Amino acid sequence: MSDFDAIVVGAGPAGITAALAMSRAGARVLLLERGEWPGAKNMFGGMLVTCETPERLLPGFWDDAPWERNVTRRVLTVVGPESSSSLTHESQGAAKKPYAGFTLYRPVFDRWYAERARDAGVTLLCDCMVEGLVTRDGRVRGVRVAGREDGVVEAPIVIAADGVVSLLAKEAGLHDGFKAKDLALGVRALFRLDEDEIDARLGLRGKEGATYEYLGCTGGVRGGAFVYTQLDSLSVGVVVHLDALAERRIAPYDLLESFIGSAPVAPLLRGARLAEYSAHLLPEGGAPMLPRRSAAGFLVAGDAGALCYTNGLTFEGMNLAMASGEMAAKVAVEAAGAGDVSAERLSAYDALLAESYVMKDLKTWKRAGEFLKRDQMFALYPELVESLMESIYRSDGRPKQRIARLGLDVVKGRVSWRQLLKDGIAAGRSYL
Amino acid sequence: MIVDAIFDLVSYRLHDQPHIVLDQSRCLQCDHHSCTHSCPARCYEWSAARARVEFAYEACVECGTCLAVCDRGALDWHYPVGGFGVRFSR
Repeated sequence: MSDFDAIVVGAGPAGITAALAMSRAGARVLLLERGEWPGAKNMFGGMLVTCETPERLLPGFWDDAPWERNVTRRVLTVVGPESSSSLTHESQGAAKKPYAGFTLYRPVFDRWYAERARDAGVTLLCDCMVEGLVTRDGRVRGVRVAGREDGVVEAPIVIAADGVVSLLAKEAGLHDGFKAKDLALGVRALFRLDEDEIDARLGLRGKEGATYEYLGCTGGVRGGAFVYTQLDSLSVGVVVHLDALAERRIAPYDLLESFIGSAPVAPLLRGARLAEYSAHLLPEGGAPMLPRRSAAGFLVAGDAGALCYTNGLTFEGMNLAMASGEMAAKVAVEAAGAGDVSAERLSAYDALLAESYVMKDLKTWKRAGEFLKRDQMFALYPELVESLMESIYRSDGRPKQRIARLGLDVVKGRVSWRQLLKDGIAAGRSYL
Repeated sequence: MIVDAIFDLVSYRLHDQPHIVLDQSRCLQCDHHSCTHSCPARCYEWSAARARVEFAYEACVECGTCLAVCDRGALDWHYPVGGFGVRFSR
């Protein structure tokens, strides 16, 4: 007889949510974290878009959580060799409920969120690295914690929320380990800058925040770059497709270095103090569609289940992690209550995911993920945008052309009509 | 360069045993050594003099990049024992 009804591996957004939700439903939950505290292993300094899950579990969540800034401005910038062109979305409404989202610093946020799970009765043990599953008769029965005597803990259900390099999901046979083509690598530097200085420099007020995404500044490697505002720091980073990075034999920190020194970014960082560097993998590449995220006695949530996507405009993962954690909890509690944790019973989790926005969004943007595998999107097209914008704004005493004519001139000799048509159709099929 | 200052920019609690072990015989068969270009913590370097991949685990940020780019199965890859390795805090 186990002391626990469920074991959750990994105290990130997916794992904490799953543990919290199960505990609320009356289950005895053990949450294992390999870091010294929840968030100790996390480098994320990005944006959590608003989602219902945490508010449902913790009423008042968006008011109480230790977020950094309330995002009211999103900027997308196409960077060319000599100029950059931006599209800014500024929302006055985003400053009040329902908020658009918040920037977070995960070492702070995860710790706070895990405390709320502990308040709800979850047993949290840090410094516990799960090195493998305990499996008997084709069913997952528990986990083995490395470096501890009596490191075996058993429970009817194990939920793996152990992140993108999920050795547990692999061991359970749900996938064969994510490959370079399925992954993006993010490298990020954190720069400290006074809160007032960030406000003045970016025209922000009272904990308003901004996110800046950049295209065309990754040395031709498929990917993008970002600057996210935190309260008194800026997260500056580059995210690239890992297969493209490896093929080009470019070091990720060299791309970051050149982005930091680039014309659109350097002025933002003037006088800021470099305080931290980190790197992290993201499941991407159209999010590899795992056939299932459940097995007998076992469920996988969050990044570990590749529940993360980008379409080049939005970047979502944390919200999907929380939502999947809540769904895993629901299925786990019901299955354990019924005394049936068979693969068939737990496949209810896959069904729940499929009906939810989590899997629907992944499917909706699957093609966009594939579309973004086109190298020309990341160097050639940003250069064409630059040329077009330059010619639109240039006044040099010669008669002006209409925009379509300018476009023709820009494209001529640089990209074939065939290619342009092909990419245009693909873009249409992916986004329209 | 940022990566040169990694030990000032990242906090670690080092275990005395490496959590990743290389099978050098497989590295010798490898023609791309992607780990040496892609690792964001520059843990892997190609030594022309010794004709081998030199690996130091101390700066590892546990991202998993090396595991994903190594298609030779040369890595015995684990996370550090609980409480060890990289740690981010404010």
